[in-house]
Amino acid sequence: MSLFGWCQWLEHTPAALAIAESTWLFPLIEGSHILALPLSVGMIVIFDLRLLGLAFHSDPASRLMKEVLRWSKSGFAITFITGVLLFMTHAGKAYGNAFFRAKLLLLALLGINAVVYQTIFYPKMAEWDLASRTPLGARLCAGLSLIAWIGVIVCGRTMAYQF
Amino acid sequence: MVSQLLTLVQWCSNSAPIVFIRDSKYGMPGAQSVHLVGLTVFLAAILVLDLRLAGIGMMDWSLDGLERQLKPWATGAVALVLLSGVLIFLGTPSKYLASNPFRIKMAALGLATVFHVGVVRRFVTGQPAARPRWSEIAVAAVSLTLWFLVGWAGRAIAFVP
Repeated sequence: MSLFGWCQWLEHTPAALAIAESTWLFPLIEGSHILALPLSVGMIVIFDLRLLGLAFHSDPASRLMKEVLRWSKSGFAITFITGVLLFMTHAGKAYGNAFFRAKLLLLALLGINAVVYQTIFYPKMAEWDLASRTPLGARLCAGLSLIAWIGVIVCGRTMAYQF
Repeated sequence: MVSQLLTLVQWCSNSAPIVFIRDSKYGMPGAQSVHLVGLTVFLAAILVLDLRLAGIGMMDWSLDGLERQLKPWATGAVALVLLSGVLIFLGTPSKYLASNPFRIKMAALGLATVFHVGVVRRFVTGQPAARPRWSEIAVAAVSLTLWFLVGWAGRAIAFVP
């Protein structure tokens, strides 16, 4: 089965149809997807601003990171689960949608970016924990994260207009 | 008074910039996107403040310290949300004026703002030790409920008449 065929099959599974046809389920899932944004993306943005030297200037970056990640993890759990459910209900239409593809691409980029930060910059955070000016690489990661997350939100909102 | 206001809304709604946004393919999705980016940052700031107030997060920071750090970003985010919100409203005023969730959203927005200015701010700038802990938890819970009611009512506009 082709990927497109699989998407069409997914859209017609009983679970997907049940969500799409329910009066309350779809709005509830979509609302949760969007209103988890402050908890998921918003918390990450706060840490990005610290790395860029734009907020929490000389506060320990590692403590802010730990605290922010603690909350954003539950946010992303909600965003991810509701996102998968939303995809199921529109999989066929989402497959060929340019904004949906761009959103997935940006999410992949953000994943790579997070791994890069965790492996290269996180282990050495103690060296510049209190500095308001963080290493160039860390600032690049933060800048990329900020721009790509905005892109994810823009693509996600815009694709809904095309369904 | 009300009819004059409606005339003004109608005039704005038919003005060239709004017509341009309404008729261009990515005008409304763009305004909606700005609305979401703004609310993400603004509600994150509210969330951080309320988590700290309730004593369940950001305990390494003081309340007024958090507010100082977040205020410029929250203010900018509010500007984005309000500007895009007005554009979205003026795109199809008749739809919003007839919408029950929109009325609830505006009422909740008013309440949340009054509660933030009148109550939350006093807790943020006041003496931390002088209050019983249950009152801080209650204030944080009311604040979060009101702000997220604004969001949920906003989302409901698309689904409920």
